[in-house]
Amino acid sequence: MKNIRELLRDADPLRYEPTWPSGQHIFRRQAVLAAASGARAPAGVGARMRIGIFATVALIVIAASFLGPRVWSLLVSDLQAAVRFEVRLAEDRPAAGLREAKVSGSNRSVYLHDEVIVTNSDIAGARIVQGGDPSQYGVSVEFNASGAEKMRAATGNHIGKPVAILLDGQVVMAPVLRTPIGASAVVTGNLTRTEAERIANGITIQ
Amino acid sequence: MARALPVVVAGNPVERLASLFDVHYDRLYRLARRLAPSADDALDLVQETFLKAARFPRSIPVGTTNEEAWLVRVLINIRRDQWRKTSVRERYDKAGFGGSHIASGGRDPEAALIARTAVWQALNVLPPRRRAIVVMYELEGLAIPAIASLLGISPITVRWHLSMGRHDLTAVLKGLYGRHQ
Repeated sequence: MKNIRELLRDADPLRYEPTWPSGQHIFRRQAVLAAASGARAPAGVGARMRIGIFATVALIVIAASFLGPRVWSLLVSDLQAAVRFEVRLAEDRPAAGLREAKVSGSNRSVYLHDEVIVTNSDIAGARIVQGGDPSQYGVSVEFNASGAEKMRAATGNHIGKPVAILLDGQVVMAPVLRTPIGASAVVTGNLTRTEAERIANGITIQ
Repeated sequence: MARALPVVVAGNPVERLASLFDVHYDRLYRLARRLAPSADDALDLVQETFLKAARFPRSIPVGTTNEEAWLVRVLINIRRDQWRKTSVRERYDKAGFGGSHIASGGRDPEAALIARTAVWQALNVLPPRRRAIVVMYELEGLAIPAIASLLGISPITVRWHLSMGRHDLTAVLKGLYGRHQ
């Protein structure tokens, strides 16, 4: 005699059907994005797009690894003063000319390119933003025209590879690049308001 | 307690939506397929979820876990609205109350298919959120605290839904299989 779990597992349609019905994924994606493009059409957005503020920005993350509180505290305590912010291209595998770096709070290593894509001087502004929970905050970063152009140029041919975000020389995250990065991004990680303010204020100090 | 690393999300709504779609589509489709009557219904359900995200981009929280929770709740709410529009009679018929008993056991592929279909349709008696909890616990293998966090409810509430869901399912399955199952 089977219990409910066994009966449900036997009957689960996902055991017998393809995960994504053929072709539907792309079709549905296009439909959603077309609707989204039509949904946001305010005039102000168009104007801002012309001056480059709303250049394409990518979601670079899927990385939802965890950072131990001790490491995080150390990191945040270092953010009291100015935060040296850098973005560099990275690789998952070692190669000549690349420097190995640990990603804070994880066992993962990435291999950094020498060239720094953007630094604090390429940032137009940074501010804190509300996270998903009332007690969580993130930092919204906007690059200036030069910074946005550098990001766009550097990340265009790096799709599928990691990009390292460094704060004071530490790689705090190395998400895989899914689409080219442009003029703005939001950094979040369940920060408290104080932590987010420290980071935002530190990043914008030239 | 470990804390999530910072993440970077798109500032451009369309680009962010594209990334949300790419990151969460598979997870949402799997849940939707287990909540909806057919694959086509599941595809529509997922699409409607992302269309809602497109309409309210500022309400989507940042962070992969928060995004997932937001999308899952929206998906369940959409399914709940659909479920409420279905008549009680129709739901119970689909759940097997209106049909005949099915034979258990045996190796006949056709009989096995009928049995599987009937078992799956028994889930139709459950309201979508309860059904989602049963699916997440029994099929996705999520722990009760994880389900509670995902749905924004207390673990006690999850346990209650799970208990009620099992009770209701058992009643329907007894009706389908007779007293022998």
